[in-house]
Amino acid sequence: MNKLKFNYTSLSFLPILVCIPLGYQLITNIHFGGLKLFQEFLISAFNPKIDNEIIIIVINRLNETILIGFFSWLLSIIFGAIFGILSSNIFYKIFNIPNFFFIIIRVFLTIIRSIHEIIWGILLMQIYGINFSIGIIAICIPYIAVNSKVFAEQLETIKYESFESINQINAPKFSTLLTLIWNPIINTFKNFGLYRLECSIRSTVILGLFGIGGIGTSILLSFQTLNFRELWTYLWSLAILIILSGLIFKKIKFNNTNKILSIFFILVFFITILFSFSYFLYFIFNNNFENFNYVSSLFKSSSYLGLFDFLKLILETIILSLLSTGIAISLPPLLIGIFDNNTSIIFIKFFAFLLRLIPTPVILLTLLTFNNPSLSLAALTLGLHNAGITSKLLLTNLDSQDKRYYIAMKSLGISKKTSWLLGLFSQQAKSYLAYCAYRSDIIIRETAIVGVIGSVGLGWQLQESLSSFAFQEVTIVLIAYSSIAIVGELINGKIKNSLT
Amino acid sequence: MNNTLLELENISYKYKNNLILNKVNLKINSGEKIALLGKSGSGKTTLISVLNGTIKPTQGVVKLFNRSFEELDRKQKCKITTIWQDLRLIEDLTAEQNVNCGLLAESNFYFALKNLLNISSFKKAHKYMQLCRLHSSIYDKKIRELSGGQKQRVAIARSLIQGSNILLADEPFNNLDPKLITTIKNLLLDNVDKNNKKNSPKTTLVALHRLDLLNDFDKVIGIRDGKIFFNIKTTNLKKIHLDKIY
Repeated sequence: MNKLKFNYTSLSFLPILVCIPLGYQLITNIHFGGLKLFQEFLISAFNPKIDNEIIIIVINRLNETILIGFFSWLLSIIFGAIFGILSSNIFYKIFNIPNFFFIIIRVFLTIIRSIHEIIWGILLMQIYGINFSIGIIAICIPYIAVNSKVFAEQLETIKYESFESINQINAPKFSTLLTLIWNPIINTFKNFGLYRLECSIRSTVILGLFGIGGIGTSILLSFQTLNFRELWTYLWSLAILIILSGLIFKKIKFNNTNKILSIFFILVFFITILFSFSYFLYFIFNNNFENFNYVSSLFKSSSYLGLFDFLKLILETIILSLLSTGIAISLPPLLIGIFDNNTSIIFIKFFAFLLRLIPTPVILLTLLTFNNPSLSLAALTLGLHNAGITSKLLLTNLDSQDKRYYIAMKSLGISKKTSWLLGLFSQQAKSYLAYCAYRSDIIIRETAIVGVIGSVGLGWQLQESLSSFAFQEVTIVLIAYSSIAIVGELINGKIKNSLT
Repeated sequence: MNNTLLELENISYKYKNNLILNKVNLKINSGEKIALLGKSGSGKTTLISVLNGTIKPTQGVVKLFNRSFEELDRKQKCKITTIWQDLRLIEDLTAEQNVNCGLLAESNFYFALKNLLNISSFKKAHKYMQLCRLHSSIYDKKIRELSGGQKQRVAIARSLIQGSNILLADEPFNNLDPKLITTIKNLLLDNVDKNNKKNSPKTTLVALHRLDLLNDFDKVIGIRDGKIFFNIKTTNLKKIHLDKIY
């Protein structure tokens, strides 16, 4: 009997099998109570509310979103670069610092990164209440750690010979550091930094759903009042903002040798650091930290979370991550493969854009109109949102790929779908899986968002514990969340390394 | 008077159980022009790396100005400059920025920043690039856009601009055409830069393969299997010596 052999192409499709248990649970949970609402939700997409009053609200709310998104992006990029340098090998080699410090900084950043910005936001809001700067801080904390990882990875690509040649010149250490890291830092900013602005805006919207302000809060309020026409006005205005920001950044060409631009960036860099430091001092001296005393007394509160229940929640979170990852990996190639014609691809692109645009809590709340809350529904929501992101990457890569194999196979009379699979997708499968490994890191963290709303896993428990001020439970849940995310990151790191 | 600049005392170097250098003793006096001959893999590059302090020997002592390498401060270490066989240029920087890297040791942080931002006219770099016959059109080109010969000359200009007393060069004539070889050889050995003597290396050790270039060297050292087989005046070099190492 022939042995079953897996390759990268088949591994890209295999995870779709998660749809069997998922579909079974979704079908058994279906109810028709809210189907009319769902219908109304869909129709409103083509008939958003447009009048003077809502336009003014949209402008004000978008301003708030842009401000929070922009400042959190700016801070997280600058401090991400600084921590990226501090957590890179090259820094320790130049300054002859023991590796011990390098390990401490990396572990610290990994822990910070493992907790989603929503959790940071909810925690900070509990302590300090709702205000503009809390939104920025909540996004900045994990984003700095995420950005620092990317910067550090780029700095690891500096050739040892380059380091050796500058080191041998015996230049002052700071000059050596600057000369070696300058271009990797600038290139990372050009290739990755601008994309992070879009991420910051999305995170601001999601934090808005939890009350921090901006367009997210308006989306939530209109959903709660079932005012779908208003909801779609906000969603479409958000879409315009994201498309416009993407177009603007595509037009901007950063030239490393442009003196004025470089000086401007250096000024922004130092002003941001100065401003952050001043704000930090202001925060320290203007806060009597009474809230901290309040919180510390709550830590003494006893936990009613049983061990069995706790383990069940951890297991739910892991299953939720796996199911969502399965959908995010397999759905895009499956849909693109089956509907491989120009009109269908346009529809897939539009659908993927909507999945990226609509915040996951709103997708979940919409699906809840005709399905009972369950782990499968939360997994479907998270899977669909991330499939929107993976499909964008896959379509972009397939567009730019050399199509000679595909054309050659079609000319041999092989069917269009088989030619697509073997001549086009198979060339991309390995790098696509590597990206999905990175994406699954994010999915693990995002389980918190759907968990809070969809009554699943640790996210739900976190919300419950916070609502009942059981801070001991909150701490346990956070440690569990962080541990799952760190273990997931380690496993995905191994997978990614084996694929690249 | 003792005018020894660099001294190797009983140097051995092991890498993964292979003895690359085997009890090497060598003295390099001030002002000497030395050619280092040997087959590929004979230990020439390792010897140069030990001389410039990049590699720590497994056994023995390296002395510069009669002091061991560990005792030297940063400024004293700057007295040695190296042209590497693999050039070790920073690919992302321009030719001019790479040449300016040679000045980092004697400059402050602001100079490093100015170099990266390209906000100054770097006359000294231009002068050395012109000496190495590099055309002004390549000053702003990134290293990866240059030909092999151009890269080679950028690396040479970066070393010369350092103004070090001792120059160690590992096959510096690779990728150069015959006319350029003569120009570069004169630059490395003949101190062409008469107007600015302090910027010309007075002591030179060059690893090479071409025997027709030996005429201008004072001494020739032959190395095989990590051992020095001869260390003689160039005028005394005979076929029998070469047979020992090739």
